[in-house]
Amino acid sequence: MDVFGSFALILAFVCALYAFVGGIAAIITRHPLLIKSARQAGIAVCGLIFTATLSLVYLFFTDNYSVAYVVSHSNRDLSTFFKIAALWSGQEGSLLFWSFLLAIYVVSVLLTYRNKNGELMPYVGVILAGVQLFFLTISNFVASPFKALGVANAAGSFDLVARADGNGLNPVLQYPEMVIHPPNLYSGYTGFTIPFAFALAALLARYPGEKWIHLTRKWTMIAWCFQTMGILLGAHWAYAVLGWGGYWGWDPVENASLLPWLTGTAFLHSVMMQEKRGMMKVWNVWLVFLTFMLCILGTLLTRSGVVSSVHSFAQSSIGNWFVGFLLIILGVCLAAYFKNKDYLKSENQLDSLVSRESSFLFNNLVLLVACVAVLSGTLFPVFSEWFTGSRISVGAPFFNKVNIPLGLLLMFLTGVGPLLAWRKTSTESMKRNFRGPVTAGLLGGVIGFFLGVREMFALICFSLCVFVATTIVQEFYRGARVVKARSSASWLVSCVDLTLRNTRRYGGYIVHLGMVMIFIGLAGQAFNKEVEKELPIGSTISIGKYELLLQSMDRKQERNYVADRMIVEVMKDKKPVMMLYPERRNFPANQESGTMVAIYSTLREDLYVVYAGMNPQNNLPTIHVFINPLVKWVWWGGMVVVMGTIVALVPTRAAVVVLARTEVPSATRELSGIRPAQVTLREGHD
Amino acid sequence: MPPGAKRLLADQSDRTHQIGSKLKCMCNGCDQAAGKCYHVGGAYSGPCDTAKTMLKEIDTHIAAGMTDEQVLKAMIQEYGPLAYVEPPKSGFGLVAWLMPILYLLGGTALVIVVMKRWRKRPVAVAAASSANGVRVSPELLARAREQAQRETEE
Repeated sequence: MDVFGSFALILAFVCALYAFVGGIAAIITRHPLLIKSARQAGIAVCGLIFTATLSLVYLFFTDNYSVAYVVSHSNRDLSTFFKIAALWSGQEGSLLFWSFLLAIYVVSVLLTYRNKNGELMPYVGVILAGVQLFFLTISNFVASPFKALGVANAAGSFDLVARADGNGLNPVLQYPEMVIHPPNLYSGYTGFTIPFAFALAALLARYPGEKWIHLTRKWTMIAWCFQTMGILLGAHWAYAVLGWGGYWGWDPVENASLLPWLTGTAFLHSVMMQEKRGMMKVWNVWLVFLTFMLCILGTLLTRSGVVSSVHSFAQSSIGNWFVGFLLIILGVCLAAYFKNKDYLKSENQLDSLVSRESSFLFNNLVLLVACVAVLSGTLFPVFSEWFTGSRISVGAPFFNKVNIPLGLLLMFLTGVGPLLAWRKTSTESMKRNFRGPVTAGLLGGVIGFFLGVREMFALICFSLCVFVATTIVQEFYRGARVVKARSSASWLVSCVDLTLRNTRRYGGYIVHLGMVMIFIGLAGQAFNKEVEKELPIGSTISIGKYELLLQSMDRKQERNYVADRMIVEVMKDKKPVMMLYPERRNFPANQESGTMVAIYSTLREDLYVVYAGMNPQNNLPTIHVFINPLVKWVWWGGMVVVMGTIVALVPTRAAVVVLARTEVPSATRELSGIRPAQVTLREGHD
Repeated sequence: MPPGAKRLLADQSDRTHQIGSKLKCMCNGCDQAAGKCYHVGGAYSGPCDTAKTMLKEIDTHIAAGMTDEQVLKAMIQEYGPLAYVEPPKSGFGLVAWLMPILYLLGGTALVIVVMKRWRKRPVAVAAASSANGVRVSPELLARAREQAQRETEE
């Protein structure tokens, strides 16, 4: 099967080469058969990548320990479930997995648009084949997952050997979320390839109109949704497994996953400027280019070990290939841009400084500043080593200090933006739109203060969250009132009806609501408490309102590991609440161990208990207890964000006719300012 | 143990980790804070031995009655300036702090310039390039207006 797999991989490489070269020839000659053959080669590439990936999975399932990759990432006792995760737990496998996910996107694009957008698709096909070609080159010639296990002999060559059992999977990866976090995040990273291909293709082909924006927006949202889920699942995994009490440590690889998310978010907003007003065309194209390049950079940071990281289980010297690829992409983008710059000429003027347009400009500004600040902070240790010879540490406190103010500014804009009208907002409508939310926000701040919140940033954050939440409720209320008046349905039905009439706008509001919840959770970090103590059996430790009694310890033999457990009774205000069982797991296959955190989670706070180890001198177990307020809001907020994105992806029920140039945000549209000659009709998006 | 003493112990440990999160774990294998070190792999995940030693030292300093600032100073003196988890606000480290401020100022300046240019942009550009959009007949426009009116009335 390993020979079969590597054969499929090399064949995929050949087909990708054809799809790329043949595709370019097809664009030049415009020969229909050539166009068709290039497209079908592209589909064949995907089929072959699927075959190769399935072969590797098969090797894991059948415990084939003559393949080097299987030996280093699996063993016989590993459950079938985690053998799937073993596929992407190392360098070679995760690169193949990258190709696999990209192939799913590529094949969907090629099949969906096979009879549409005839001018554009050959370009898209070539660009996608180019990206696939790069990853297939790596998988075939640099880091092959099918390499046989070999031992060097005296003659300088290798003898093939097979082992009886493998080294096992890294214990921190043996956790259910590790089976869904990487596929999600990778689906995000790879998904941004599609908008990139469409943007570059439209620019190269000088494709008329804003069609590519419509095509791209949907794919960007899919990728963005996966990226969001991937980031949050990763955060939850870090929280539940690593046992340091937090979920975001500004680790280089975490930062790398945030960068394309930030630029992708910026694009999803600024794209509306182009749809509605024909503005910011250059900016949008470059945002898409940048997002894709940041995805490649993210993969580079994860793989190369340029910056040390918690994700160091996937390192090697493969970085140079990625740097080369990044430079090629940059070169192609620059060349395409300078060649066809005039195609991106903007159409409109800014009517007023107080308008939706300016709020989008500032939204993009803040997102981009955050992105560049995180990027330069992440790379700063490397820069400082180049310039001064010694590494300067840039840790979590730095990133927090820089990003908390930016995050608050963004939250502020999240509330303000949707209340401002396109073109210009009258003072009258400003008053009407802002009166309620501003009052509610200030009130929220005052209540927070009297409830004992004294941290300035947390107080501002809570206040802003109330403000933004009120603006969203107000938007739903005003819209639903109109629907209700006409259909006399209930409020709930009216809200659903309203949302289905304009999924994009109201789905967006749901996403904003999810972000508000996430920000509430983030602000909770200001009030974290922790205590660590060596605890004899039968004694207690107290933190906040809780008292924890260590009743006993036990040991469980599982198939793949031995678990040492603490049996802890939790009491709140002297009353027993529940039992918690924090664990340490020892994995004999690779002599490693991992923690299993026990969490008692409520909307108010998490009680987070870690069994931190046994002191060998006095045989006393160490317990590490945290109180992390409001953490649950982050996970629930994440779910709301994903839900909102899915709503926004649903096509609007009836194609609503909207006046593109006079789109006004809330229910207060002023129709007097329409200039008939400049009105264009588009589908009902907001 | 009297309740007061227990509280003191809890606070002390919280303080230790607070201070520890401002110091870099000096094992040279990670870029994490001593108070938040969570090595993956290795002997076991969780604070490595170096981080643990550093936390114990902080405990000792606290027990000696030092303030947070004094503890940090003592630790930095012992492990060198690189032990501080933030870049120093002097020398090359200052660059790290100035960068985000420069981005924000530069970006804001750029936005202002762009806005000014957009304000001045002649309307004629809009009319000329509307060739890409769909031309609208007066009846369709009237219908669209009516629908917008219907959708938006309060």
